[in-house]
Amino acid sequence: MTYLQALALALLQGVSELFPVSSLGHTILVPALLQWHNIDRASASFLAFVVVLHLGTALALILYYRHEWYAIARALVASVVRGRLSDDREERVGWRLVVGTIPVGILGVIFEHPVRKLFGSPAPAAIFLVINGLVMFAGEALRRRQHRAAPGAYKPIEALSYSQSLLIGVAQGFALLPGISRSGISMVAGLLFDLDHENAARFSFLLATPVIFAAGLLEVPKLFAPGTNLVLIEAILGGIAAGIAAYLSVAFLMRYFRSNDLRPFGWYCVVMGAVSFVLARKGVIS
Amino acid sequence: MRVIAFAAAIVFFVLGILYGLGKINFLTESGAGHQHHITHLVICWVLALLALIWARFQSSPSASMR
Repeated sequence: MTYLQALALALLQGVSELFPVSSLGHTILVPALLQWHNIDRASASFLAFVVVLHLGTALALILYYRHEWYAIARALVASVVRGRLSDDREERVGWRLVVGTIPVGILGVIFEHPVRKLFGSPAPAAIFLVINGLVMFAGEALRRRQHRAAPGAYKPIEALSYSQSLLIGVAQGFALLPGISRSGISMVAGLLFDLDHENAARFSFLLATPVIFAAGLLEVPKLFAPGTNLVLIEAILGGIAAGIAAYLSVAFLMRYFRSNDLRPFGWYCVVMGAVSFVLARKGVIS
Repeated sequence: MRVIAFAAAIVFFVLGILYGLGKINFLTESGAGHQHHITHLVICWVLALLALIWARFQSSPSASMR
């Protein structure tokens, strides 16, 4: 892997992890589209590089939401010490995040490896990317229909029920499939439970933070695995680039979702997925 | 409910130890080696901790999951 490829992959990871377009799908499709045959995605060095990119992305998310995370952590600890729940906003959001994280953690541990083995090639990733786009269109249409039938103000995050938080977490579990976006699918679930776009995005990013961070931390041993020939400067630069890209992405998206919806990303996923699928079927990418 | 929460915590804790020692391979990837067992150990212990927190909330007479 050249320095330019490392930088491009780091920026791609940082952006596509948070934009609702599937980072996993893009890390399969983009190197294939660019004919980067020198990158062995199964090699110990590449896996170690990906670990650093994930940690960079997670740290950027923690940094962006640092005040919110601090308040949530304090509220959670206070409620455990007290032994009962209160109506504090941060505490309610915090427990909803805990409940939403449980299914992602369990599904990830059980299904990550088999799913990657089954679908870790361009054609399935392209199909799931198209499905991801269609899910976003369907989510937006269903939400509009719900609001026409029962117009009213949208819910804040703390008004979600525990079962709704759990279901958003289950939805996020589908992002194990390459091509299905973690933020996209959990945002759609949030929208269907009556969050507005901004709160659905915020809940989705907050929910993704511990998952991405824990997944990165659990993979840290790969950095020291035998056969890993990771160039330290390459890894550090990659992590920083992914972190900066992720920080800018979340800042952009939080502003974007104040007045816009998921449909442009839906179009992108459908077109990118369809083109990639045709190229994979014709053997242009593999 | 408190008894169930404690029982769940113990079960998850013991499961974690068994995964960590490599004594059970249920739901682990056969080719992934020891790394995958450690992941299962961590997730089991996190679930045990959450079960203990659940038990803690059950100890208060006015507690209810709002």
